[in-house]
Amino acid sequence: MAVRKATKKKTAKKTVAKKARKAPAKKKKAPAKKAPAKKTKRSSGRSGSGTAPASGGNPAGLRVRMYRVGFGDFFLFTVPAASGPKHILIDCGVHSKDTHSIQAAVSHMAAETGKQLALIIVTHRHADHVTGFSKCKDVFKDFKVERIWMSWYENPKDAKALAIQANIAAVATQVSHALAARDKPEDEQYRNMVGNITEAMSATGTQNPGAFEVLRGFPGNPPISYYKAGDTPELPQDLVDAGLDAQILGPPDSNNMIKKTDSSKEEYLASEAATEGGHIRLFSPPFWVQPGEYSSDVLSKEDILAMQTRVATVQPDTLAARAGVANNLINNQSLVTLFTFKDKTLLFAGDAQWGNWANFLFGSLTGTTLKAASKAILGNLDFYKVGHHGSTNATPKDALAAMKDGCVAMCSTAIGAYNEVPRDALITAIDQKTHHQLARSDQVEAGNAKPDKDAGALPAGVFNASTVMVGEVPCGFIDYVV
Amino acid sequence: MVAQVQFEDLHPGPVGERFAVVDYDASQKTFYQPVNLDDPQIVMRQGLDPSESDPRFHQQMVYAVASETLQRFEIAIGRRVHWARFDGPKSKKMDKTGPLPSHRLCLFPHAMADANAFYSRDAQGILFGYFRASETMPGDNLPGQTIYSCLSHDIIAHETTHAILDGMRSYFSEPTNIDVTAFHEAFADLSALFGHFSHREILLDTLMKTGGRLYDTWLQAPMQTGSDGVELSGQIQRINPLAQLALQFGEASGMNRGLRDMLGSKPNSDDITRLTEPHARGAILVAAVFDAYFTTYTRRTADLFRIFRAGGGSANPVDLPDALAHRLAEEAARTAEEFFTICARAIDYCPPVDMTFSDFLRAMLTAHVDVHPVDDWHVRSALMEAFRLRGIVPRDAESLTENSVCWPQVVKDSLPEIPELIFGDPNGLTREEADRNGGVLRAYAAKNAKALGFADDHGPIDAPSFHPIFRIGPHGNLIIDMVVELVETRIVEDNELGKYPFRSGVTLLIWQEFQQNGQRAAPEIHYVVPKHRTPQREEQQRLHFSTIDRTGRHDADGHLKKNASAHDIASAWKIDFGLVHAGL
Repeated sequence: MAVRKATKKKTAKKTVAKKARKAPAKKKKAPAKKAPAKKTKRSSGRSGSGTAPASGGNPAGLRVRMYRVGFGDFFLFTVPAASGPKHILIDCGVHSKDTHSIQAAVSHMAAETGKQLALIIVTHRHADHVTGFSKCKDVFKDFKVERIWMSWYENPKDAKALAIQANIAAVATQVSHALAARDKPEDEQYRNMVGNITEAMSATGTQNPGAFEVLRGFPGNPPISYYKAGDTPELPQDLVDAGLDAQILGPPDSNNMIKKTDSSKEEYLASEAATEGGHIRLFSPPFWVQPGEYSSDVLSKEDILAMQTRVATVQPDTLAARAGVANNLINNQSLVTLFTFKDKTLLFAGDAQWGNWANFLFGSLTGTTLKAASKAILGNLDFYKVGHHGSTNATPKDALAAMKDGCVAMCSTAIGAYNEVPRDALITAIDQKTHHQLARSDQVEAGNAKPDKDAGALPAGVFNASTVMVGEVPCGFIDYVV
Repeated sequence: MVAQVQFEDLHPGPVGERFAVVDYDASQKTFYQPVNLDDPQIVMRQGLDPSESDPRFHQQMVYAVASETLQRFEIAIGRRVHWARFDGPKSKKMDKTGPLPSHRLCLFPHAMADANAFYSRDAQGILFGYFRASETMPGDNLPGQTIYSCLSHDIIAHETTHAILDGMRSYFSEPTNIDVTAFHEAFADLSALFGHFSHREILLDTLMKTGGRLYDTWLQAPMQTGSDGVELSGQIQRINPLAQLALQFGEASGMNRGLRDMLGSKPNSDDITRLTEPHARGAILVAAVFDAYFTTYTRRTADLFRIFRAGGGSANPVDLPDALAHRLAEEAARTAEEFFTICARAIDYCPPVDMTFSDFLRAMLTAHVDVHPVDDWHVRSALMEAFRLRGIVPRDAESLTENSVCWPQVVKDSLPEIPELIFGDPNGLTREEADRNGGVLRAYAAKNAKALGFADDHGPIDAPSFHPIFRIGPHGNLIIDMVVELVETRIVEDNELGKYPFRSGVTLLIWQEFQQNGQRAAPEIHYVVPKHRTPQREEQQRLHFSTIDRTGRHDADGHLKKNASAHDIASAWKIDFGLVHAGL
């Protein structure tokens, strides 16, 4: 551990950037060369080879592992405890840009943890955060899990939460039908947005049973807790004894904190009406006329033509907007957890977007002054899981500005899943903030995907990238040892 | 109900001086037959009779209500309204088309098959949609019936008001803080609601059914409910139509009520910190104004009720005598007209950019003082109290007294006069006069920037509008002012947001004293209503812009283009009412 720390320090100063770590630097240079020489072990990962990676690869210290699965989150956070390493699983899912490696990754994780998880955190219900549970239900079914945390929106006993989720699901279903009906290729990202909602929940979507049934069906029925900002979460005793502490920073309790939530009755127009009625024919045929009926003294042919075009072009794409709103609503339900271990703090923000962040940063949606407590938390931060795959408003500028210079960040992302995800300007800003200690999941090979050239190289020395074969499938992940 | 509008020459459409009704349906790619209101057969009948199945009636209705709304505004503000010009980025498609005729607002009664209606500066017009009523909760409509938003008096008035406000203040459609969009909505709702009170029949009917308590949410049923709980349809209470907007539209969308029913809610100062959705937030302002209105109405009619009771009338009347109902209607209409006028005139007293509810309160009071220095009925204290109860307090004012809430008057001789300014006559400025005034004002601003409060390092100051106002004072005297906007614009480049305009500036109210010794007095600045550049404002705008989701906008990336012009950038940030009205 001491050695590792020293290495990291040096790297931060950028003195030995390319020293011992052959893999990440080399990978970028010559991916083509690497391809034919496919071997079980491709990089400096410590894991054993073959289908059953040994659990001996567990670290002595704190470790965050990010699996590459495509557009989706799959994080394993490992804490050293008296009885050995304890594992916390934070989300497990993939939606679009699937690298078809999630089964391999889950098997790998199962072997690594000995199928024992101290805690599972499900940040929110988007498919790209939960489908791993349903896709790998056979692996998960005999996991020993001590506790599960979710946001209050998932509490089946909370009538308000149920109504909100039902409403969002209904809107998402309507919008997905309407998008399917109009069948435009450029709608792909909007279809992804609503698909991310409907597929996570529907029984017929990906697999039966759905992710939440798996989560609620672990042997021994581990307790599931539902939290909101400000709650004191209950950690398994082993982790408490090990010195781990956790705080819940989001999502806020009040609906109104999250912009435009569920209240369809407050909407100017109910979505039912908005998505139907596309094929109404008005009036009787004698009233259907050519534009020539207008007097050319006041409206020329060009005027009429201009108007025709304007009327057609200025209409907003309300379907797309609805898909976006539904997507944001679910993201804003993200359970945001701050872990403290000894003097280190780590922030896992799920996919929290503006409404969720605003509560934490400013205390309200209308506030503009950063709360002192939030400033202190961010100013001490050692690790940040980048929100929402690096999208534009999931890491507010003010939050980033307040973060400690030189903290470390990890971002699970995939180029091209959505428009502007990841947002280049934001990635650059995070890279600067972290003194070039930002890892992207698409920087490691996994499944059918090579490291994405456009993602750049993994910063050498800070992280540890590995690709190991699980059966026939390359399982890729990036480790950060604190 | 008959709408009375000013006479003008009309072409088929109708197309008149200020409006062009063009019935083009973009969903069906069809035109519908335009009405010719000058057709002798129609003139003879004073217009077409109501008919849902004849598009020409729809066109007539849109034209009449929009004209009526415009007229009410122009009378209230004492000047002509100019429509905002389309000046944004052009899509490839738009480039092929020439500019639209600027002096007409286009009304498209059946623009699209969508439960939506919205004003669009880019279309220089209002697009009304149509849709099918909810199959499950249609309210008073047939399930699946076609609902036309262009047949709703409220929706037409609301949308026309958006266009009028955009014409009066083009930067009020730049949502630089949380209040701006909400204000646009609130103002349009206020106009539509006060419109209800100008219609005698509705007013009388409501007065009768509320026993004179216009503010009641429910009307009394024509029959009393029996003690056995059996309810005949005649015993069902109906909702008060005066306090509801677009009842049919709301019910047909499955909302079981009008599109908005903001009145009669219990005042609280919490909502203002909690509500962000523009309509919900706007409703706070609407409720505050209507609180003050009903308070004033009650004060003004208290004597009538006392006389009525002294004559043996019931303290809680079920049936109002006809004469009393008419007197009450008169007070209600007069007070509504007065309140509408305060609201409309207040726009001229608002800062040119970054408007807040608090600014509007201060503007309303100042506008009222200017025309009614003596406030017999305590309208101003009613307004301040109603706003305070809803958490809208005048920021930067010293105390909650009339004097400190009104904008401070410019101390005499502390700003130089503007002798070259031309006020013209009530029919407007000629192009030459306007050009000259523009130059005079820009030069004045450049010379006196510091005195007007602009920062030392200010950029060029533009005068986007200057309008002479001709109003009748309480003593029948003609009050002549000029309202001027002076605005400094900076284009900010932000990593996250792309480019956006940051504006600051002042609104000037300039007046001309009586002439002396045969000389016309030089115009003097009477009020400077400021919204200056401060670090807080810059930060607030950036934060607010970062909450805006652009998904679905037709010009979603106008500000991100490499060589985007200032117009492109501004246009991409303005409010998209199509999305706001769709609840998005």
